[in-house]
Amino acid sequence: MQLEHHFEVPASRAETWARFNDLEQVVPCFPGASLTEVDGDEFTGSVKVKLGPISLQYNGSGRYVERDEAAGRIVIEASGKDRRGNGNAGATVTAVLTEAGEGTAVEVVTEMDIGGKPAQFGRGMIQSISNKMLDKFLACIREKMTDSA
Amino acid sequence: MTVTEEHAPEIGKARARKEDARLITGRSRYTDNMVLPGMLHLAMVRSPLARARITSIDTSAARSAPGVVRVLTGKDLTGEQGSMPNAWPVTEDQKAPPHPAVAEETVNFAGEIVAVVIARSPAAARDAVELVDVDYEPLTPVVDLATAARDEELIYPELGTNHSATWVFDSAEAGTGGDIKEAISAAEIVVERTFRQQRLIPAFMEPRSTVVDPTGEQLTVWSATQIPHILRVMLALTLGIPESKLRVIAPDVGGGFGGKLQVTPEEVITVLAARHTGKPCKYTETRSETMVGAHHGRDQIQTLRISAKADGTVTGLDVHLVANMGAYLGLITSGIPILGAFMYNGIYKFPAYRFECTNVFTNQVWTDAYRGAGRPEATFAIERMMDELATELGMDPIEVREKNWIQHDEFPFATVSSLEYDSGNYEAATAKALELFGYDELRAEQTRRRESGDVVQLGIGVSTFTEMCGLAPSRVLGALSYAAGGWEHAQVRVLPTGKVEVVTGVSPHGQGHVTSWSQIVADRLGVAFEDVEVLHGDTQVSQRGLDTYGSRSLAVGGMAVVAAADKVIEKAKVVAAHLLEAATDDIEFSGGQFTVRGTDQGVGFGDVAFAVFAAHDLPDGFEPSLDSDATYDPENFSFPHGTHLAAMEVDTETGQVRVRKYVCVDDVGNVINPMIVDGQVHGGLAQGIAQALFEEAVYDDSGTLLTGSFTEYLVPSAPDLPSFTTDRTVTPSTTNALGVKGVGEAGTIASTPAIVNGVLDAIRQFGVSDVEMPCSPSRVWHAIQAARVGSGAGTGHTGTGGEEARR
Amino acid sequence: MIPSAFDYEAPATVAEALTLLADDSREVKVLAGGQSLLPVLKLRMADPELVVSLQQIDELRGVRMEDQTLVIGAMTRHADVAREPLIGAHAPLLARAAAEIADPQVRHRGTIGGAVVHADPASDMPATLCALEAQMQVVGPSGQRTVPAAEFFEDFFTTVVEEDELLTAIRVPSYDDWGIGYEKFTRVAQQWPIVSVAAMVRLEGGSIAEARVALGNMDTVPVRAAGVEAALSGAAPTQEAVAAACASAAEGTNPTEDLNGDATYRRHLATVLARRAVLAAVADAGA
Repeated sequence: MQLEHHFEVPASRAETWARFNDLEQVVPCFPGASLTEVDGDEFTGSVKVKLGPISLQYNGSGRYVERDEAAGRIVIEASGKDRRGNGNAGATVTAVLTEAGEGTAVEVVTEMDIGGKPAQFGRGMIQSISNKMLDKFLACIREKMTDSA
Repeated sequence: MTVTEEHAPEIGKARARKEDARLITGRSRYTDNMVLPGMLHLAMVRSPLARARITSIDTSAARSAPGVVRVLTGKDLTGEQGSMPNAWPVTEDQKAPPHPAVAEETVNFAGEIVAVVIARSPAAARDAVELVDVDYEPLTPVVDLATAARDEELIYPELGTNHSATWVFDSAEAGTGGDIKEAISAAEIVVERTFRQQRLIPAFMEPRSTVVDPTGEQLTVWSATQIPHILRVMLALTLGIPESKLRVIAPDVGGGFGGKLQVTPEEVITVLAARHTGKPCKYTETRSETMVGAHHGRDQIQTLRISAKADGTVTGLDVHLVANMGAYLGLITSGIPILGAFMYNGIYKFPAYRFECTNVFTNQVWTDAYRGAGRPEATFAIERMMDELATELGMDPIEVREKNWIQHDEFPFATVSSLEYDSGNYEAATAKALELFGYDELRAEQTRRRESGDVVQLGIGVSTFTEMCGLAPSRVLGALSYAAGGWEHAQVRVLPTGKVEVVTGVSPHGQGHVTSWSQIVADRLGVAFEDVEVLHGDTQVSQRGLDTYGSRSLAVGGMAVVAAADKVIEKAKVVAAHLLEAATDDIEFSGGQFTVRGTDQGVGFGDVAFAVFAAHDLPDGFEPSLDSDATYDPENFSFPHGTHLAAMEVDTETGQVRVRKYVCVDDVGNVINPMIVDGQVHGGLAQGIAQALFEEAVYDDSGTLLTGSFTEYLVPSAPDLPSFTTDRTVTPSTTNALGVKGVGEAGTIASTPAIVNGVLDAIRQFGVSDVEMPCSPSRVWHAIQAARVGSGAGTGHTGTGGEEARR
Repeated sequence: MIPSAFDYEAPATVAEALTLLADDSREVKVLAGGQSLLPVLKLRMADPELVVSLQQIDELRGVRMEDQTLVIGAMTRHADVAREPLIGAHAPLLARAAAEIADPQVRHRGTIGGAVVHADPASDMPATLCALEAQMQVVGPSGQRTVPAAEFFEDFFTTVVEEDELLTAIRVPSYDDWGIGYEKFTRVAQQWPIVSVAAMVRLEGGSIAEARVALGNMDTVPVRAAGVEAALSGAAPTQEAVAAACASAAEGTNPTEDLNGDATYRRHLATVLARRAVLAAVADAGA
């Protein structure tokens, strides 16, 4: 599934770019996520998803696939598997930063792929749930970039 | 020795089933009930990905977990596990990938087994599954059938295509009819439609289970299977075990619907696990595993063209199928759509016919037999087409059928698809159905609702079906390149006390064979119904057989029983003549009594049985046994038919569809037990209606089965269905001496098109021309909306189904 | 279907249960009737270290009247809610909705409190209790608090009940002279509703004086159709007036899309079902 988001932050494009390239800032914004290791463009970590009685923990890794500062384009790819083998999840987040007056406009396109039991038994809710998680993720990023501006 | 009174015939009696008291009071013995000393338990590690390369499997944590005895991966079994069998290479150049029971290099559907945990308890095995760490390199899954058929991304690059085979029947080439191109070019009207046969899940009640005991002289396999005999041969061939060293037992089996007409990876794995550990091993799947790992049914795209004259007389039929094989070819995956090839012409006199089917691989679990297997697909398509033709010509759907069906005095009838229909009376069944239905009153009500613009509109769906049953003639199966024959075996053993044991080669899993066979033999030998014991499902007891599927048990297996019983009578007559001091030719047998023609001298069957047992005074040279075997291979299939009528209410505001009334008149030939026949029809109707309205296996783009539980895969229950009105006409089959035709699939085959035709009949007035199955409220509503907005554009192909999921 | 191993406690009192819930060293899950939790455990989509069953706590069971308010113990089973005369008399909408939950087996095991805390937006109880303006009685280490239904549900499967708290009772005001209507739209009988509507109206002087309309499965939480209620207030109890008022039933909702229908279809269904439920309530009220 593909999810699209758009927001503006008051910070300059350069500042925003720097933030987007700081994993320590970006990753913890994702609900339940924690980084275990960062090595250059690559990182490992986990995402805990807790929803009522359901609790899943995805362990995995990710990397910056593309960082084109001139184009303001960042592509982050991450994938993981549930620690109990319940399924796999993957996301490719493409963010494009453009100047918008004093601030920066951020276009985010996320390609999400969630397989296994959550999709199989989720009664279609998995899409809404991932959408919400992504909303929170981007709201957090936006907030951080706004705070720092 | 005098003659006693005649027995009332057992055949035709609505006997309560012998099996039921035991089954419904819990004295059943299913495979999972088996407990053997030292038994180990299996649990499977299954791939969550639909297509991937296995890069590594770390089993160390699982191996050291409490209670774990061994963990096997595909690599551990390479060279030993062989490839799962396909018994039906439909063409000489059929393509198929190797199909290891445990994936070795790649996985090709979500749910495929990648490792096996063997432990001392089911819980220990299940716990350790989580500890097996599998790394995959994801590959692009090819999930959609039409996309797969375009060969843009190849699932098995080494095959060079996603196409497994293309199979063609052409009546001009076969000499059974004219040329379809000529028929179409000469036609006054040509109707073309495309239908989607959605994927279904066989939802049998008992999940599959296998127990293997390697500790005896023979390797004993208990399995929840429809096919113990075929399983034995196939396990021997696949694993290189001498067939004589294998014993297969199908104990109580809780339903199959074709879903247990399979040689499964799980069965092969349990055998291998027992061999590796030297201990009895058990594997019982969970329902979630059934949904993703057991074969599915249907899944075809059907494009049909009918050519006709302006008066409704059909002149030709052109059928193009794309059939979804899934990731592998199972036991008869490839042959399922081909079975339909002979049925697209239905009950009609088509002068020209062409059928072409392309079998295509996708990254989904493989398809295979599901109740009707190819024939429901064919019947759906032709019965939908007859309604479309009627609509195009402004004719009543009954009228267009009458104009084209085979008349009762035209039997036996050689069809354009090369079959010979032995008997039938479509006029009689239809007349009876119309009367029971109240066709004219319902049509009047339909008009009233239309005129008043009622929120709830009424539609009438018609389906006049036939099917080929009693699979069967071995030479026909041979001509179709099927690996085995279609004969059936039976043995009748006469015990010293005159009681009888009947051994049958068919393998019941809910059909009530024990009861029906008892009725047949009771009549044939004049013994009491209670005195017949029917034995089955164990290759050590039932030494020959080809098992239960394709509505074959009675028409083929029942006939073998008759033939064996008749041999018993012939032997007993010799002894009776000897005891009565008469010539064998003068002995008559009726109601369990041997009598000398024209006298009141007689001897009972039991007395003869004891005399043979004692063997004190038998004719010279008489072998002291009445036991007899028979193997029966019919000359032809049998052809049950029927007329099904559905009154469908459609709530035009919500799209909700309700079956208001359902009438079916089936002609299944002579009936052994009317209650069992009614039960088969009722269950079949529920399953066929479920395809029309409720059930669909839906995968998302990445190949995850979204309908992976009964929360989403909607199997109807009693509140969702009306009270059915079932009745019968009887035109005995002339192919077999019992005059029976088979009833296992009738309800499933006939009902689906009746329901969909009824839904469309209610909403065609708004410009809707099709609603894809299942006709969910959302699809029906969207179809009406689209038609109202876009004037005639409504096809119901939007709405629920894969679309949302795939967006 | 074998869950991961877990410890199990079945305390006899609420106080003992709260002590167990306060255990920070283990992940704890509360078990009521088990109709939602057990499948999740068996599918291994959750693996709590301790399961605390409320089955032995008698004080959580039963229905009584306090002044003009029904007090329903959280562990009261759906089947008992459906047939309890006090509920039938004072909150017939609740009895009606409880009678339509799943199937008889589920109704004889599942509890009203369990269903509410599970907070499945598609299940029958949350929307019904919103329409009834029920109050949820929650107890925890810092004492008892009462939360209106409208503020109780936060998200999919998420309520204001904290991990160390328990829902003990549901308080429902009396609706003695109200008419009720409940529309649950499913494809097969045992399914979660695609959309459900719980409605109540009170007539006065030949017109609708007050109306309550709540929608199930139209968002991540149950939704009150405030616009519909406002439009119905003072309206004539006629087909046309009710239809006009219910046309806005889906306003502000955000339904999930799934195999049973997209958002457009669900929004449309909400308007049709709201109208039908309100008309049934009007008829029930004796118009």
